[in-house]
Amino acid sequence: MRSRVLGASVATVLALSACGGNLDDSASDAGSTFPERAVRVLVGQDAGGSTDLIARALAEPASADLKKPVTVLNKAGANGGVAAKELAGAEADGYTLMVFNGSLAYITPLAVAADEAVDINGFEVVTGVSQDDYVLVANPKTGFKTVKDIVDAKRPITFATTGVGTGSQLCQELLFAQASVDATAVPFNGGAPALTAALGGQVDVAAVQLGEGQSQIKAGKVTPIVTFAAERPAYLPDTPTAQESGYTALVQQSRAIVAPKGAPRETLDRLRAAFQKAFAEQKYKDFNAQRSLTPNEVDGATLLRQWNASRDTYRGLIEKYKIDLSGKS
Amino acid sequence: MDSLSPVLDGFAVVLEPKNLLYCLLGVVIGMLIGVLPGLGPAATIAILLPMTFGLEPVTSIIMLAGIFYGAQYGGTITSVLLRLPGEASSVVTVFDGHAMARQGRAGTALGIAAIGSFTGGTLSIVALTLVAPFVAGFALDFGPPEYTALALLGILLVATVSNGGKVKALIAAAAGLLLATVGRDDFISVERFTFGNLSLADGLDFVPIAMGLFGLGEILYNLEERHRATQAPAAVTDVWPSRADLRQASGAIGRGGVLGFLLGILPGGGAVLSSLAAYAWEKRRARHPERFGHGAIEGVAAPETANNAAATSSFIPLLSLGIPANATMAVIFGALLIQGVTPGPQLVTEHPELFWGVVNSMYLGNVLLLIMSLPLVGLFVRILRVRPAILAPITALITLIGAYTVRNDVFDIGLVVFFGVLGYLMKKTGFDPGPLVLAFVLGSLLETSLRRSLLLFDGNPAGFLTRPISGVLLACFLLVAVLPAARTLLHRRRAHLDRVPSGNE
Amino acid sequence: MTEPERPPAAGAATTLVTAALVVVLGGAAVAGALNLGVGSASAPGPGMWPALVGAALVVLGGVLAARARGTEDAERFTRTGLLVLAATGTMVVFVAVVGVIGFEIPTVSLAFVWLRFLGRESWRLSAIVSVAATAAFYLLFVGALGVTIPHLF
Repeated sequence: MRSRVLGASVATVLALSACGGNLDDSASDAGSTFPERAVRVLVGQDAGGSTDLIARALAEPASADLKKPVTVLNKAGANGGVAAKELAGAEADGYTLMVFNGSLAYITPLAVAADEAVDINGFEVVTGVSQDDYVLVANPKTGFKTVKDIVDAKRPITFATTGVGTGSQLCQELLFAQASVDATAVPFNGGAPALTAALGGQVDVAAVQLGEGQSQIKAGKVTPIVTFAAERPAYLPDTPTAQESGYTALVQQSRAIVAPKGAPRETLDRLRAAFQKAFAEQKYKDFNAQRSLTPNEVDGATLLRQWNASRDTYRGLIEKYKIDLSGKS
Repeated sequence: MDSLSPVLDGFAVVLEPKNLLYCLLGVVIGMLIGVLPGLGPAATIAILLPMTFGLEPVTSIIMLAGIFYGAQYGGTITSVLLRLPGEASSVVTVFDGHAMARQGRAGTALGIAAIGSFTGGTLSIVALTLVAPFVAGFALDFGPPEYTALALLGILLVATVSNGGKVKALIAAAAGLLLATVGRDDFISVERFTFGNLSLADGLDFVPIAMGLFGLGEILYNLEERHRATQAPAAVTDVWPSRADLRQASGAIGRGGVLGFLLGILPGGGAVLSSLAAYAWEKRRARHPERFGHGAIEGVAAPETANNAAATSSFIPLLSLGIPANATMAVIFGALLIQGVTPGPQLVTEHPELFWGVVNSMYLGNVLLLIMSLPLVGLFVRILRVRPAILAPITALITLIGAYTVRNDVFDIGLVVFFGVLGYLMKKTGFDPGPLVLAFVLGSLLETSLRRSLLLFDGNPAGFLTRPISGVLLACFLLVAVLPAARTLLHRRRAHLDRVPSGNE
Repeated sequence: MTEPERPPAAGAATTLVTAALVVVLGGAAVAGALNLGVGSASAPGPGMWPALVGAALVVLGGVLAARARGTEDAERFTRTGLLVLAATGTMVVFVAVVGVIGFEIPTVSLAFVWLRFLGRESWRLSAIVSVAATAAFYLLFVGALGVTIPHLF
C-alpha cells in the first residue's frame, strides 16, 4: 500500500519535472500534438468550495484522456474576478483554462461598478459543466413551510445570503420584493455560514445551493420552502419552485470551462472531447448526484446564449422591482 | 453498554494495518508542511485529494485528519526557532518560544510544546468521544452578536499580552484592525483601500503579514545587529524540559486544554482565540507577569496546548453537524463528498465506523506525533547552530517563496518584503508586532459580526445585552477592561491616603 | 542569557516622527472612510468601521506625541542600517524579476549577495550554499509540492 503511494508521488514528481518550466516563452505549435505539457485549470474560489470540487472531480479523468497532467490552481478573489483577469492575460494556447462561475458573468455585473465587471463574451467557452439550484430554507422554529406562511406572518424577517452580488441574494430579493415582505438581507461569507445562521435561528431564512443544504434538509434541521429552479430538481421533488408559487425568480448557479479569447479551434475541440469523456465517467456522475448538481454539458455557443439571456433577464427584473444588488438600498 | 460498542468497533477500524499506515503517513506529511511557512494544511490536503480517490472513505479521512493536526505540531517549530509563525494560532507561541530559543532553551520550548500539544490533543479527543453530540449545538448558539462580543474580548486580550508600552500596543492593534478592512466590502460591494489593485480585492492574507513582520523583520534587524556586536549563536543547553519545567507548565497545559476544546468548537477563529485566551489567562494569573515575553515556559505551554485541543474539537461541528469550522475542515468536507459520504447530522448513525474510526485514529496520531517530535526536537535545535550569516538568506528565501504558495500570487512576495521592512522599523521604534497581527486576524471577524448584528437588531445596540451568551461575554469584557484600571486607581488612592494621613476622608 | 545589550536609544525626535506618521495614517484612513460612506447604525456603511479605527489612531498618535519625552524604547538609526537597505533592495529586485525569468536565477543571486557581501562569507562557501539552497528549494517546492511558482526548468 505504502509503496503504491510512494510510487504515485514519485510519478507526480517526475511528471512535473518533465513538463519543464512554466514561463510559456516557447510558443508551441498547437494542433494535432496538443497537449504537449500540463494543462492548468484556474479556480476563482478557495480550495474546498463547490467550484473547486467540480474542477478537481473533472481534472482527474480529463488528464487520463489528455495523457498529460491537469492541475487545479486556486486564485481566489473578487468572486472569481482575479482568476478571470489572469485567464484573460494568459496565452491563448489552451494550456490555461478556468472553471468559470455563471454568477460572475450574469449577476456580479449587476452589483459592481462597470469597470470591475467581467464580460464572458471576451472568452472562448470550451464546454458547459453543470447547474446548481438554490433552495430557500427556514429554521423550523419560525413555523414557515411555504412562501404564503412568510407573507401571512406579516412581520419583518431577516434572510441570510451567501454574499453580496450572489445568486443567493438575487433570488431572495426577487422573491421578497414580489411578495411584498419587509425583509432585511444579512450577507455571510459563503454557503456554510449562511446555512449555519439559519440552523441556529440567527436569521429566519436563507437561500443556499442545494448540495450545501441537502443533508440538513434530510435531517429535518431546516425546512425547504421553495427552489429557484426552472422545474422541480430531481433531488428535491416535493418542494415547489418559486415559479409554481407564482413568483418570477428563476436563479441558478452555472459553471463552464473557459479558455482565453483566440485559442485555436482544434485545441478547444480536443479539450471539449476530453471533458466529454470525463462527464461520462460513473464516478463523476456519482459526484454530481452527491452534490445535487444538474448536468449542463452544452457546447460553447449554447452556453453563451444561456448566460447572456440570464444577464439580460436579471437586469430587467432588478430594474422592474427596484432592487439594488450592491447592498446600498 | 450498547452505546460503547461503536466506539470499540472504531478502534478495530484504526488498528487495521492499512489505516495505521495512512495515519502515520498523514501525520508525517502534516508535520513537514507545518514546518514549511506558507503552504497550510488546507492547501496541502487539496493537493493530495486525488491521491485519496482510490482509498476507502475512513482511510482517506484518517490520513487527511492526520495532516491537519500534524501541521499544528510542526508549526511550533518554526515559531520557536525562526520566529516564523506559519498559522495564526501559533503567533502567540512566538512571544515566549523565540525568547526561550535566544536564551539557548529552544529544546525546552519545543519539548514542552510537544508535550502540551499531545496532552491538549488527547484531552480534546476524550472530551469529543464523551460529549460530542451534546456540545455540538453550542456552535449553533453563536450568532453574529456572540462573535462580536467574543472578538471584542479577543482584541482586549491582544492589548494585554503585549510587553511594550500600552500606547504603542494599542497603536499596533489599531493598525492591524485597519489592515483587516482592505478589500471588497462584505456588505456593500465597494472596494476599500485597494487602490484599484485586483490582488487586494479579497483583502490581505495573514501569512505575508505574519511572516513579514515577525520572520523577515527579525532577519533584517539581526542583519544590522550582527555588524554592531559579534553575536555567537545561542548555545543549546538542556534539550529536555526538566522536572521543574514540567511542574511549572502543568497548570498551563490543563487550562489551555479546556479553553482550546471549548473555543475550537466555534466555527471561525476558534483556534486563534483559544491560543490568545490561554496565553492571556496565564499571564494574568502569574505572580510575576513581567516574565512573559522573556521566555516564560507557561507562555509556550498554554497556547500550544490550546491550539491543538482546538484543532481536534473543530472536527465536532463537521462530523456531528456537517458544518466546516475552518478552511481545512471545508476541504475535508469536500473529500468526504467525493467519497460519497455527506457530512451532516446523520453521519454518526449512518456511518458509525467512519465517525469513530476517524476519532479514534486521532489518539494514535497524537501518540505517533509525540514519539516522532521528541527525538526531532534535538535535530531541529541544531538549526540554531548554523551561523546566522548562512541561516539568514535561506530563511529569507523560504519566506519569500512560501508567501507565493499561499495564493499563487507574486504580489504576495512583494507584501512580505513590505511587511518585513515595516517589522524592522517597528522593532527599531519599539512597537511589538504581536498586537498588529492578532488584531488583523480578529479585525474582520469583529467588523463583519458587528455589522451583521446591527442589521439583525435593526440598529439597536441594546440587542447585545438581551441575548444571554453575548451579554455574559460583554460582562467579561467589562470585567477584564475595568477591573485592572479600578485596582490601579484604588492603589493610587490608598498610596495617596498613606502619604497624607490627615486626608479629607 | 545571550541577549546583547540594546543599541543606543533614540531621542524624543524619533518618537515624535513616529507619532506624526501614526496621526497621518489615521487621518488618511478617516478621509478614505468618509469618502466610502459611513451610513447609520441600522444600516452601517462601508466607511463606518475604518472611520472609527482611523479616529482611534489619530488619538493614540496624539497621546504618543504627548508622552514622547518619557519613552525610551526606540533605537537610534545608525549607519549599519544601510545593510538593511541593501538587503531590502535585493528583495525588491527579486520580486520584480521573479515573474519574468523564473525563481531560480533570482534565488541564487539573492543568496549569493547576502552570503558574500552582507554576511562576509568566503567566495567558495557563498557559491556552494547559494546553489545548493536553490536546488533544494526547486526539489521541495516545484518537485515535491507542485507549487506553480514561475520556474525555468
